[in-house]
Amino acid sequence: MNNSLILSYTTFVYFLAFMAYLLGMVMNRAFFSRLGTYLSLLGFTAQTLAIILRWVESYKMGIGHAPLSNLYESLVFFSWTLMLLYLILEWRTKNRTIGTFVTPLAFLAMAYASFSPNISSQIQPLIPALKSNWLISHVITCFFGYAAFALSFGVSIMYLLKRLDTAEKDNRFLRLIPSTAILDDLNYQMIVIGFLMLTLGIITGSVWAHSAWGTYWSWDPKETWSLITWLVYASVIHTRLVKGWKGKKIAILSIVGFACVLFTYFGVNYLAGLHSYAKK
Amino acid sequence: MKNTQSKNKPHVIWEFLSSVWEFLSSVKLTIVLLILLAIVSIVGTVIPQGQGAVEFAKNLHPAMFRFFKTLQLFDMYNAPWFRLLIAFLALNLVVCSINRFPSTWKRFSTKPAPDRSKPFENSTPEDCFEAGVNVDKASTRVEKILKSGYKNVHQKTSGANHFFYGDKGSLSYFGVYVVHLSVLLILVGGLMGSFFGFEAYVNILEGEIADQVIIRKTMRPLDLGFEVRCDKFSVDFYESGAPKEFKSNLTFMVNGKAVRKNDLLVNHPVEFGGVTFYQASYGSVADKEARLRIDRKSNKPVSSEKTVKGNISYPLPGGEGTYQVVDMRNDIMHLGPAVLILLKPKTGEPIEFWVFKNYDAVQKKLPPPMLASPKFNPEAFSPYRFSLTGLKTVYYTGLQANRDPGVPIVWAGCFLMVSGLFVTFFMSHKKMWVRVLGQGTGAKIEVAGTTNKNPVGLQKDLRHLMTNIQNEFHKKG
Repeated sequence: MNNSLILSYTTFVYFLAFMAYLLGMVMNRAFFSRLGTYLSLLGFTAQTLAIILRWVESYKMGIGHAPLSNLYESLVFFSWTLMLLYLILEWRTKNRTIGTFVTPLAFLAMAYASFSPNISSQIQPLIPALKSNWLISHVITCFFGYAAFALSFGVSIMYLLKRLDTAEKDNRFLRLIPSTAILDDLNYQMIVIGFLMLTLGIITGSVWAHSAWGTYWSWDPKETWSLITWLVYASVIHTRLVKGWKGKKIAILSIVGFACVLFTYFGVNYLAGLHSYAKK
Repeated sequence: MKNTQSKNKPHVIWEFLSSVWEFLSSVKLTIVLLILLAIVSIVGTVIPQGQGAVEFAKNLHPAMFRFFKTLQLFDMYNAPWFRLLIAFLALNLVVCSINRFPSTWKRFSTKPAPDRSKPFENSTPEDCFEAGVNVDKASTRVEKILKSGYKNVHQKTSGANHFFYGDKGSLSYFGVYVVHLSVLLILVGGLMGSFFGFEAYVNILEGEIADQVIIRKTMRPLDLGFEVRCDKFSVDFYESGAPKEFKSNLTFMVNGKAVRKNDLLVNHPVEFGGVTFYQASYGSVADKEARLRIDRKSNKPVSSEKTVKGNISYPLPGGEGTYQVVDMRNDIMHLGPAVLILLKPKTGEPIEFWVFKNYDAVQKKLPPPMLASPKFNPEAFSPYRFSLTGLKTVYYTGLQANRDPGVPIVWAGCFLMVSGLFVTFFMSHKKMWVRVLGQGTGAKIEVAGTTNKNPVGLQKDLRHLMTNIQNEFHKKG
């Protein structure tokens, strides 16, 4: 079966997973939440298979390379890393409500990859600049960073919602969300992982740029925006560790940070720069 | 009066200096600087920088242009004010680190008393173990186990009770210093590159030799002190027309004598004589020869094929005017070789059009609106039809030639940053207390601990320590 066909099905399965998690929360039925987990696992397995298939397929075409070379492949990989981190988080926290806030992101990334008319799902050969051993380590570190920040974003939204919960309100949906203390802790953990991964991503990118273009830093918009993102999360970490900021402030800063991530990922495509192969 | 003034002066200076120091050591300043750097960096991604700025500046209102120019917004990242901002951050970082060092050192070097009872306040039954041996024997065993996993182990005895303290991970307090040092190293490496390094380029025709490169910043030539010859340049394409590989076969020569031969590919730079060469671009030059076929469609068809040189006028076979080849390209828009023909009829306006070598293939690839344009029509001048049957061009290779002595320092900084972050985020100082209390002929062993972060990890380590102690007693009885 064709890899992009499986990936289209995955998109649909992630949407169903989102609906199941949501129903589980709205109706307060554990059955639906559990169904959400099964659907997530199903989608994730199918997606993993499709990525491997795509990799094999590229070798059969004689242009073998890891499926991490254009916007389509990067979106697929982004949602894959997001689901991987999420499933680990669900297993560790034993809480399924986070799924309601994370699976829509994975679904949206896949839907954008599958249905946008500007994105080609064809396997394309690597241009000379991308033929480097640094491609895999650069893309993997960056996208694990993005995924951790996306999780932190989801958790921050949950935090802000949970603050609306009061004893007299008795809202089922809000009551199921974990306590603000747990969310705050999770948020910080995700930011730390994301920051470490983003740092590694920028460094591997620099090493690669140095061997491809001769300079490790050229202030290209994507580089600059990744630095802006890094600076924002660096301030989040400083406010927390030194100034002791917690809770709402960190949640809001994390949402700002994720906006920077999104701009680094998509926004810079509207600005001229060296990362043009990541546009289509 | 005079006396008091001179007495006050050093005091005033001291006060001023200490308030400056206080200002520079505040984390508020750090956060303000980080956010400020982030915000101004955005400006540089919206306004095109360097060469790209020319096109952008053309469309600006003159007053706006002057404003941008004064603020150096067209080369923002090299502007003194931007560098000053970074210098400020570096200074803030140094002052903060110095300011906090004494308290960090204290936390690192202080060894708490082994007989503290506060850590045991939240003990659970799991932290307790009753040993069937006498208290001295038990405490010897406990000390051995504690020493195998923890540092700074020391003890205190009071009556029949033995108290132990041990810790691990106390060096993790310095992780944050490693991170901050790494930032400074990266900045120093960057400065070294901009002071003692250069970024240059050179285009070399196949078979030719270059002994100079052109510095990008100043556009001035720089003598290499050796020569580079491009023996051959080759470019491969995929079936789709996308480039597959660019390769230059280079020979490095000193005083005209070949010293080393290297193949230069994208992503595989070559170093010679302290200069690193990168495959950056390529092209082909148009001053050679092309072979053209000219068909005149009429009652008496005329057909001629001849070799023509660039920029020389030739008469049309029917005598309606002249033509010349004004540009020759080995590959244009991934459509293969083409020449640009300038045709001057005896009557009417001169016309220019491209003649492709593989016109059949071009017809399939080119979008219809472009195909309809006279610019791409080999029959643009009726009744003639031009065909390109051969093209002799020479490639040149475009090399980037850089020297950057700061690079190893930057890499060292990157390595330190990752290790420092790892230590700061994932390692913690775990302090452990173990007390062995005499109870008749036996002994009661209790463990407790505190940590600066990661309480879950501490619980795990406490369990582990307790299991080790229990195993020791079960083994030896």
